[in-house]
Amino acid sequence: MVNFTLTTATAISASQPLAASELAHAVGADTAWVVQLVEVGILQIETAETQPERWQFSSEDLQHALEVRRLERDFGVGLDAAALILDLEHEVRRLKALLQAHGLR
Amino acid sequence: MEFKDYYSALGVDRTASDDEVRKAYRKLARKYHPDVSKEADAEQRMRDINEAKDVLGDKEKRVAYDALADRVARGGHPEGGFQPPPGWDQGFEFHRGPRQGPADHADFSEFFSSLFGEAERRDAARQNYKARGEDHHAAIEIALEDALNGAEREITLRAQTVDAQGHPQWQNRTLSVKIPPGVHPGQFIRLAGQGMPGHGGEPPGDLYLEVRIAPHKLYRVEERDLYMTLPVTPTEAALGTQVQVPTPTGGVVEVTVPRNARNGLKLRLKGRGLAGKTPGDLYLLLDIALPPADSDDARKAYEQLAQATASFHPRQHLGV
Repeated sequence: MVNFTLTTATAISASQPLAASELAHAVGADTAWVVQLVEVGILQIETAETQPERWQFSSEDLQHALEVRRLERDFGVGLDAAALILDLEHEVRRLKALLQAHGLR
Repeated sequence: MEFKDYYSALGVDRTASDDEVRKAYRKLARKYHPDVSKEADAEQRMRDINEAKDVLGDKEKRVAYDALADRVARGGHPEGGFQPPPGWDQGFEFHRGPRQGPADHADFSEFFSSLFGEAERRDAARQNYKARGEDHHAAIEIALEDALNGAEREITLRAQTVDAQGHPQWQNRTLSVKIPPGVHPGQFIRLAGQGMPGHGGEPPGDLYLEVRIAPHKLYRVEERDLYMTLPVTPTEAALGTQVQVPTPTGGVVEVTVPRNARNGLKLRLKGRGLAGKTPGDLYLLLDIALPPADSDDARKAYEQLAQATASFHPRQHLGV
């Protein structure tokens, strides 16, 4: 067993966001794929910045990108269908949390 | 190490066509999807079927796997479990598909790695493939207090590494992770250089840890907001009162329960949730706890309350 002690651990946040290339690398894709996700509205760009090199992404964006990759891999869905499935998944999770909050689950 | 039967993992025959393999995989992927599956081992089953599909869905790997399965069937299982025979894959070639690399395989079994891991690296080396190592993903569950205040936690990961001869192997790594204060569920912590090894002398990838918060005895976490049930007596709810409430950071705040507060009323303590660009709130859900009528005094008090509120009909809307 090998032990490491880490000093470099950063939380992906507004002050330490991911660049488009970093987001792409994190999910095993390329920057052009990230651009497509922005175009179909799966990823939101806060500013009207048009240069992908200057885009910034949050942990939530990384989560969405990972989910889309899984949908592509598991079911071969297109990005528009993935966007809809993602919306429905999140709605299901929100409603389940609501049920749990009211002790119904 | 056990020999894995990928055909039974997908529930298909050895003669199944590519289309049948794909259909079987998609059916199971839907069944074990985390949002719909009620199976306790859904995550593991999903990993198993992904691994089976990776092999059976790839012509080159499937042919090699079938040939190996035949050899194993003829020779039986050796003592101490399965080990791939030396040179088992001679005459076969495996290629990295588009958007397919060791990161996709990081969750796969030792069995898969022992069969295809080295071959994939050989293929990459043949192509003079140069690239930074793939990023790796895992989850870390921490206590709410650790999310708020930061903490140092040890995690053990089973990861693929490369030995001195360039052969991939599985190794347990224990990492001491400093969790920054103020993280919330779903947030990713990035550990630079702790991902998969690089190719052709390029640097390794990063490790992303997804934060999960362990269930807490008082608070329930929803994104950055916290929810706590606040029990009050019927008297406190009816007449209003001041109650002391513990905050997750260890302090105590005084909260006003308004008069005629109903059961389930939500009181918000702004900014007392998890930190962030917009900090979360702490919600207190009022739960009116009835004192038991288990003494003469208590019963008398309830009877007096009934007389004093005789005009109150909670079931009037039922019309009976």
